[in-house]
Amino acid sequence: MSSSTPRSTIAAGVAMLTVVGLLGACGGGGGPVQQASTDGKPVYGGTLTYLEHQPPTCLYLPAAGFYPNGGILNQITDKLTWQNPKTLEIEPWIATKWEVGKDATEYTFHLRDGVTFSDGTPLDAEAVAANFDVYGLGDDKLKLPVAEFVNNYKRSEVVDRLTVKFFFDKPSPGFLQGTSVIGAGLVSKKTISLPYEEQCQLKNIAGSGPFTVKNQVIDKQIDLAARKDYNWAPKSSQHQGRAYLDEIKVIVTPEDNVRVGALTSGQADFVRYVQAYDEETVKSAGHTIYAEPTRGVNNGLYLRPGNSILKDLDVRKALQAGTDAKEVVDTLFTPSYPLATSVLSHLAQGYVDLSKELAYDPAKANALLDKAGWVRGADGIRAKDSVKLQLGVFIAGPQPLSKQTLELIGQQWAKLGVKLEIRPADAGTQAVDIKNAEKTALAHTMVGRADQDVIKSQFHSENRDVILSQDEKLDRLLEQESAEPDTAARNAKVAEIQRYVIEQGYTIPLFEEPQVYGGAPHVHGVAFEAVARPAFYSAWKSNQD
Amino acid sequence: MNRPKIGLVLAWLVIGVALLWAVVPGVFTGHDPIAGVPAEKLQAPSGQHLFGTDAVGRDLFARVVHGAVHSLSGAFVAVGVGLLLGTLLGLLAGSAGGLLDDAIMRFVDVLLSVPGLLLALTVIILLGPGTVNVAIAVGIGSVAAFARLSRAEVVRVRRTDYVEAAFGSGGRYTTVLRRHVLPNSLGPVIALAALQFGLAILAISTLGFLGYGAEPPTPEWGLLISEGRNYLATSWWLTSLPGAVVVSVVLAAGRISRSLGADLGKDRA
Amino acid sequence: MTRYLLSRVGQAALVLWAAFTAGYILLQLLPGDSVLIKFQNPELGLSPEQIAEIRAYYSGGNPPLVDYLHTLLGFARGSFGYSIDTGTPVVERLAEALPETAKLASAGFLLAVLIALVIAFAAGYSRTSWIRGALLSMPSLFVSVPVFWLGIVLIQVFSFRLGLVPVIGGSPAQQLILPVLTLAVPISAPIAQVLARSIDQVYTQPFVPVVAAKGASRWWILWRHVARNAVLPTLTMAGLTIGELIAGSVVTETVFGRNGIGRLTEQAVNAQDTPVMLAIVVLAATVFVLVNLVIDLLFPVLDPRLEVAA
Repeated sequence: MSSSTPRSTIAAGVAMLTVVGLLGACGGGGGPVQQASTDGKPVYGGTLTYLEHQPPTCLYLPAAGFYPNGGILNQITDKLTWQNPKTLEIEPWIATKWEVGKDATEYTFHLRDGVTFSDGTPLDAEAVAANFDVYGLGDDKLKLPVAEFVNNYKRSEVVDRLTVKFFFDKPSPGFLQGTSVIGAGLVSKKTISLPYEEQCQLKNIAGSGPFTVKNQVIDKQIDLAARKDYNWAPKSSQHQGRAYLDEIKVIVTPEDNVRVGALTSGQADFVRYVQAYDEETVKSAGHTIYAEPTRGVNNGLYLRPGNSILKDLDVRKALQAGTDAKEVVDTLFTPSYPLATSVLSHLAQGYVDLSKELAYDPAKANALLDKAGWVRGADGIRAKDSVKLQLGVFIAGPQPLSKQTLELIGQQWAKLGVKLEIRPADAGTQAVDIKNAEKTALAHTMVGRADQDVIKSQFHSENRDVILSQDEKLDRLLEQESAEPDTAARNAKVAEIQRYVIEQGYTIPLFEEPQVYGGAPHVHGVAFEAVARPAFYSAWKSNQD
Repeated sequence: MNRPKIGLVLAWLVIGVALLWAVVPGVFTGHDPIAGVPAEKLQAPSGQHLFGTDAVGRDLFARVVHGAVHSLSGAFVAVGVGLLLGTLLGLLAGSAGGLLDDAIMRFVDVLLSVPGLLLALTVIILLGPGTVNVAIAVGIGSVAAFARLSRAEVVRVRRTDYVEAAFGSGGRYTTVLRRHVLPNSLGPVIALAALQFGLAILAISTLGFLGYGAEPPTPEWGLLISEGRNYLATSWWLTSLPGAVVVSVVLAAGRISRSLGADLGKDRA
Repeated sequence: MTRYLLSRVGQAALVLWAAFTAGYILLQLLPGDSVLIKFQNPELGLSPEQIAEIRAYYSGGNPPLVDYLHTLLGFARGSFGYSIDTGTPVVERLAEALPETAKLASAGFLLAVLIALVIAFAAGYSRTSWIRGALLSMPSLFVSVPVFWLGIVLIQVFSFRLGLVPVIGGSPAQQLILPVLTLAVPISAPIAQVLARSIDQVYTQPFVPVVAAKGASRWWILWRHVARNAVLPTLTMAGLTIGELIAGSVVTETVFGRNGIGRLTEQAVNAQDTPVMLAIVVLAATVFVLVNLVIDLLFPVLDPRLEVAA
């Protein structure tokens, strides 16, 4: 065996550097992009290639909040009502009109005639009643849980073929908006009577939406085909009748750089989850960035008072004051990610500006920690009674740049003498430890929904309960909010809750999280529901021959 | 070939520098690998920042230098686990012979038949994440290779005349094993260890890519490459330069291993 | 010969059973909980009691030994149970994934052999020492590059920058090109070294100067004598690279977003979907054992010099 000569080692090195150089030299390239010659008039036909970041999980409708699920379900199901994303008004869709009884304890919906599910059965009052009985009450036998967008539900009543009535134990003012959310998609009676496990599977979902599932390769690709007989778009939609596109290919492409590269090189038409640092790449290639607000509880850190260190209010307030959210946004993100000014997004209902309370003040933070008895040790980390001021957090897979965000906050906290222990998120450990305030002192999360109830979803001890709440007062406030029929009074309650949550140091809001999509210049008419899930019903491609 | 082997000298140099990075990182860089200057994020390589800076404004060269201790000790642990368990099994099988030999070698076959990566992933889940656990998982994947090689060596050495003689003259089993068999079968095993050292660095970085790496903000090399990959189109240095460092170290380990008598084909054939 | 055959088949079956059992025990020890991972999504709002019920539904609630025998019997009959992650039969998921990986792995192996042949023969043929040295150092470089990094660089350069091969859309054959290359490069390295060593050995044979003196060309000597000698080591390597092919496919399929056993492995591990993981362990072991069995049985046929050692 001959040994390699020095020259050969150098040659190999040169070869490697050439590859690196090629990459460097071409940075930001992508070639000229063919400009669409569009006169603005939509054309029918064509296949849209849509790249998803993650595969869908369980497609039981109330679980559709997960963006990969919603991206599919939004195309194959319709809802009773449509929330105009600009005005946030509730407009007719499958329900042509409705009446809200006094105190918001009774709702009557009048349905559109002639709507059918993809399995051929009619979308009538009975089907709608069956859907909401499950969403409102759950079904223990079928293991179907209650949906988070329905509160205080009692029962339904089929008045006639096209009229359905819902009754509530207590006022449920959020219900009307609840009928427009992604999770309230209507499915056939056959689908809704399946056990949970089966409703999770896409092949069992029969909706009435503009697209139907044509083919599925699990965890890889879903082909959707336009429904030729679709004729029940929301009344206010300019486009009526069947969808423009013939087909949508949803391809799961987990690698960030592959999704963006495929878009800019013309191999894909539309991609979800463009990272902040890639926005410029996409734009400079002549493509469009769609940064859609999610109008909910902001992306931030949620502090768990059940943790033995965080049970001290002073420590929570210190961390709040010692976190520079502006530095996080300026360093890692783009103007698509507005700096948080409260618990809620500034587009959320009931939002109140609390930026003063959230000002960055490291001196105050240090003072509070000193006061709480945490003393800096030789390694710069504070300690009390030989317990180190060390807090655990999981990297949140669904949050954009979660790891970098946490690392940056870790840097900021290190200056205060606090150690942030950042854990990589493997699903197994996380599932076990996330509910343990001792091991997981903080959660990095957000939730989007265009209704006042979104704050209840995030904080109530029987909903998401991100802070593992032991605060009965908070629960009571949230319950009052969700049962308040008067909008002005309800918004005031939401404002009170925001102030309370900030006062109690339960959260460190960072930014208002958008969903960022990238689209090719030849793609037009993509719409988004109020919480940024794409609707391809009116989408069309102008680059067809 | 009697020429001075410059390639080999270069290889030792690379390993030497990497070891120095691990032992005295402060000599090579004045920047902090953990705390960056956010305002200086994503800067291209320059005199100020040899390897540029990352998304949080940390100096990449400092991260690579300070990362050496994590990556190299990870690789050492991995090789240590493989070497220790593998050689022990091989030694036992080769010197005992008979049924025990058969049983051990079938067990080694089982280890070989399960893809190393799957085994490593399972072990990580079992032990929990963390630098040391990842290293142990990678090490377990190389037990089979060490076991096979050391058994073959023991069998070869045992057949040599002087070992036969040592047994013949009434030497105790363990004494003969320790004094004659072990030292004489060690050479190829050490060569394999050098090779596995490079492969372990790669395996650890692959696990980092799959999301089972060290805890951030630990600047482990594999993690640097796998995280930088997302910036390939916009900030090429983030993945390419740590990548070049890893390739150089792995190449050097392979070169040294070959000079010690192993090659890629031999340990597997 | 029959006794040899029987004993080899028996050993193979034993290894398979041991792999199953080891896998079963190891997976039982996992701390995580696939049911919890799947159903903890807060939007589902399942209570701990409901999750416990689902768990009982999956586990069947048998004592460990009964469950072990039950699972073993199921595997023997070809029934691998249900994936907890997707709720579909494991057999279905394997059947979907297997052809993809089989294509990728077999094409990858063939390309690896081709690359190895080109390197080894070019090096053997070359008289210029630095070219030879450069060629012989290629394998070391090939195994020193992280596979995922190689894949990403190949995509960036060949698909996105140069636009030569699409990674999204495109024909199935086009979609195979870059993944196969990614997989083949590291695997070609050990094969190239084995071949190169065979060539070196041929040159040291005493007959070489003789046939060379008789006017045989270097090329002819190489071809005539090396090709024959190289088949056996290459075959052996084939058997031993099976594990690497599967490991490589985990990374390759993840980078390229391809469906296959590798991606299934990654997802199953992440979701701690133990029925799927166990099936993959047994599948990998079966392929490994079968390939090596075939190679062992082929050896005496291909090389009459080898005595059958029963």
